[in-house]
Amino acid sequence: MENIVKKEINYPYLTRPVEIYERENGHKIVLAHKEGGLVNVSSWVKTGSINETDENNGISHFLEHLMFKGTHKHKAGYFDKTLEAKGAIVNAATWKDYTFYYVTLPEGPDKAYLKEAIELHADMMLDPVIPEDEIGPAFKLGDDNVSQKRERHVVIEEIRMRQDQPWTRVYNSTNFNMYTKHPYKRDVIGFPETIASIPRETILNYYKTHYTPNNITTVIAGDFNHEQVLELVCKNFDFQGRENFNNPKHELDTPVSESKYIELKGKINTGFVITGWLGPVASDLKENIALEIVNVILGEGQSSRLYQNLIEKATTPVFNVVTTDFYNFKDGGNFFVQANYKADKKELALELIKKEMTNFLDGDMTEREFNKARKKLKARFAESAETVSDIAENIGYYMTVCDDLDLVEQYPRVLDEITMDEVNQIARKYLALNHSVTTVLLPE
Amino acid sequence: MEKMILDNNIPLVSKENKNTPRHALCFYFKIIEPEKKAGVYTLLNRLFLQGTKKRDAHTLAQELDENAIECYSEMKQDFIRFKLLCLNEDFEKGLDILSDIIKNSTLNDFEKEVIKLKGEIQAELDEPKTLAMDAYYSHIFKNHSYGHTYTNILKDIDYITKNDVMSAYQSLLEKSPKVISLVGDFGGEDVKGLLKKYFSDIKNCSDCEIKNDVAELEASETVKVAKDDASQAQIMQGWRVPTIFAKDYAPLMVMNTLLGSSGLSSRLFLELRDKKGLAYVVRSTYEIYDHSALFNVYIATEPKNIKTSLEGFKVELDKVKQIPVSDTELENAKNNLLGKRLFFSETNLQQASLMAYYEDKGLGADFEQEFNRMVKAVTVEDIQRVANAYITDKYVLTVLAPQQYLKEI
Repeated sequence: MENIVKKEINYPYLTRPVEIYERENGHKIVLAHKEGGLVNVSSWVKTGSINETDENNGISHFLEHLMFKGTHKHKAGYFDKTLEAKGAIVNAATWKDYTFYYVTLPEGPDKAYLKEAIELHADMMLDPVIPEDEIGPAFKLGDDNVSQKRERHVVIEEIRMRQDQPWTRVYNSTNFNMYTKHPYKRDVIGFPETIASIPRETILNYYKTHYTPNNITTVIAGDFNHEQVLELVCKNFDFQGRENFNNPKHELDTPVSESKYIELKGKINTGFVITGWLGPVASDLKENIALEIVNVILGEGQSSRLYQNLIEKATTPVFNVVTTDFYNFKDGGNFFVQANYKADKKELALELIKKEMTNFLDGDMTEREFNKARKKLKARFAESAETVSDIAENIGYYMTVCDDLDLVEQYPRVLDEITMDEVNQIARKYLALNHSVTTVLLPE
Repeated sequence: MEKMILDNNIPLVSKENKNTPRHALCFYFKIIEPEKKAGVYTLLNRLFLQGTKKRDAHTLAQELDENAIECYSEMKQDFIRFKLLCLNEDFEKGLDILSDIIKNSTLNDFEKEVIKLKGEIQAELDEPKTLAMDAYYSHIFKNHSYGHTYTNILKDIDYITKNDVMSAYQSLLEKSPKVISLVGDFGGEDVKGLLKKYFSDIKNCSDCEIKNDVAELEASETVKVAKDDASQAQIMQGWRVPTIFAKDYAPLMVMNTLLGSSGLSSRLFLELRDKKGLAYVVRSTYEIYDHSALFNVYIATEPKNIKTSLEGFKVELDKVKQIPVSDTELENAKNNLLGKRLFFSETNLQQASLMAYYEDKGLGADFEQEFNRMVKAVTVEDIQRVANAYITDKYVLTVLAPQQYLKEI
């Protein structure tokens, strides 16, 4: 029996502690108990656009698609068909810091479906064939004579879909301009040219480099015998001595020193704007909580400042939509103000957003707003403990992006202890107007 | 699951789930008088959070957020439903706010809400997919309230008066059949007593009937929407089919699953996406309303693939009409359909929502068991029969694409 280190974490609103097991090879297994007949099996890999370059941008996401194209044991389609015939939801997602694959399904009689899901999921994670005929031949964009349109074309269609979404266009521009050299500047999905031409060999090498024991966390959430499931996961996740790989460390980007402005045009009728700032590293719990508080106060829901001041109380209508968002990333999160406005009111819209930000940074947050934000963040934990998928996603995020599930246990305490002064200081540290990047999309 | 009738005749269906941190309540109001001008119920629905006799819009939003209570209304084609979701300890507070919204909304912000709604619709219509869907629904439900899409609302909204919305509100309060569902960890709490306290003065009208027949489609129609900068064509083709009350409901559900909604293993996904690389999103849907239903196939693809995609649809639809599905494929589809129900009814809110949905339709809150039985009874012949009966030459096809690609359709 291999030597496995066990640790327990008290996860808010779950009836039993979450168990983390670290194997000798570095592969981590997390077991979470949740009553009900559904189970979630997922594996999180520490790779995404953070490990990409201009040459291979989009490879993490393309690989995610190709992981579903069969193993040496099972042909393409077997995995989806077998599990979906048991009522499973099967999918995967790629983001800046991670790629994850999941199956959510009924546990089955005597947990038979859970066992089969673990076996098939492990097989897919460890032994993908990535066959040439499923990838499809490399081609030149615009060539209408491609006969074998396979997965390259599917991903290119996904890119086209995103090109037609105004919010995505504005987001990509702001995101790109917020960074100078960090890989986060690239869009996770990449460019059609790269997807059309990238060779199988390159994809396979990328898989071999990044899908290593120390880069993978497997999470199982549901109601099951932990000892048996642990044994099953260990047996099926046989890495056969695969060498580990440590992701290179990237220098954190510094924000722009003078605010930056980009203007795009499109065949639309309204205006879109996204202003973005670089935020704290994901593992700094207090700073992340502070910006989550700011996010709730400024731009979440109808009681938020921006909604109240810019839409509800507006004497003449300028904005159609205005919200904020905060994303947590390993090498520094992003804070965004996003709005849609009447096309002829661009100057006024930008001025009003600036004014709201200035007022907040001047420290006019009220105690009532502060307490509201804390209560909402507390309730979010209750919400994320309601489904096996959300529990697994939360665990996967902390294990992969923060390297630390202890933060989940600490979160309620830090949230209780943080003060208004601290939130104000942290907001000023990150959200100064001269550190912001703004993109607007206007009608042609 | 338990059912009781409150003093005012409103059915209450409830279910206790131990160890769950949040109570979930749904309150259904069936729309008994369909709107004549597009947007009346949409405005009413929005105005429900814009102030009551006791609380103005800001106070309402603040009180909900300060207590982390989610309380909102949703307008669908046949009903408006209120949803309340809060930590167990805040349940009574939530009921207090919800009952205030239901009984005492002032609709004072009518003019402001009209302006806000127009702006939001304009922003939404900048998304090509929304624009295409708008054209589709307004044609397949032409001259019917089910076809009151964004563009139709924009046409009618300036003719809607506050009185129109006020009458819709009165009609909802007085004439609508109603249902309440509740799921949570009650821990000995007198939930029925609480519901009585807050809702016993609301009238139910269980025998109020609605006439909202949908005229048959006379012939097929192709709707073209030009969008010159679109990178993808948006294609939706659909048929009017029987709804949940019909004997063909279960066969249609199973046919939809195997054709295009079982996930990565459905026929459309395998043939049009995996084998032909035509799309990232391709699927079929079966949409249920009280007085009609739709079976749709959808794909988003590079504009030069429009013809190939439509041919692809035809091949797959013809196949299901002409060739009996195998027993294995049928079994897989049934298991997929039934197994996924667990996923879609995992939370207290999802369960409360489903229970009230069935109860509102008169099928009984526990219809899910009956549905299981119906699905298991579906045969190979049923699938072929419903495919032939309902996928006919009377359909609406909507294609959004740059002008140059629309000519060939």
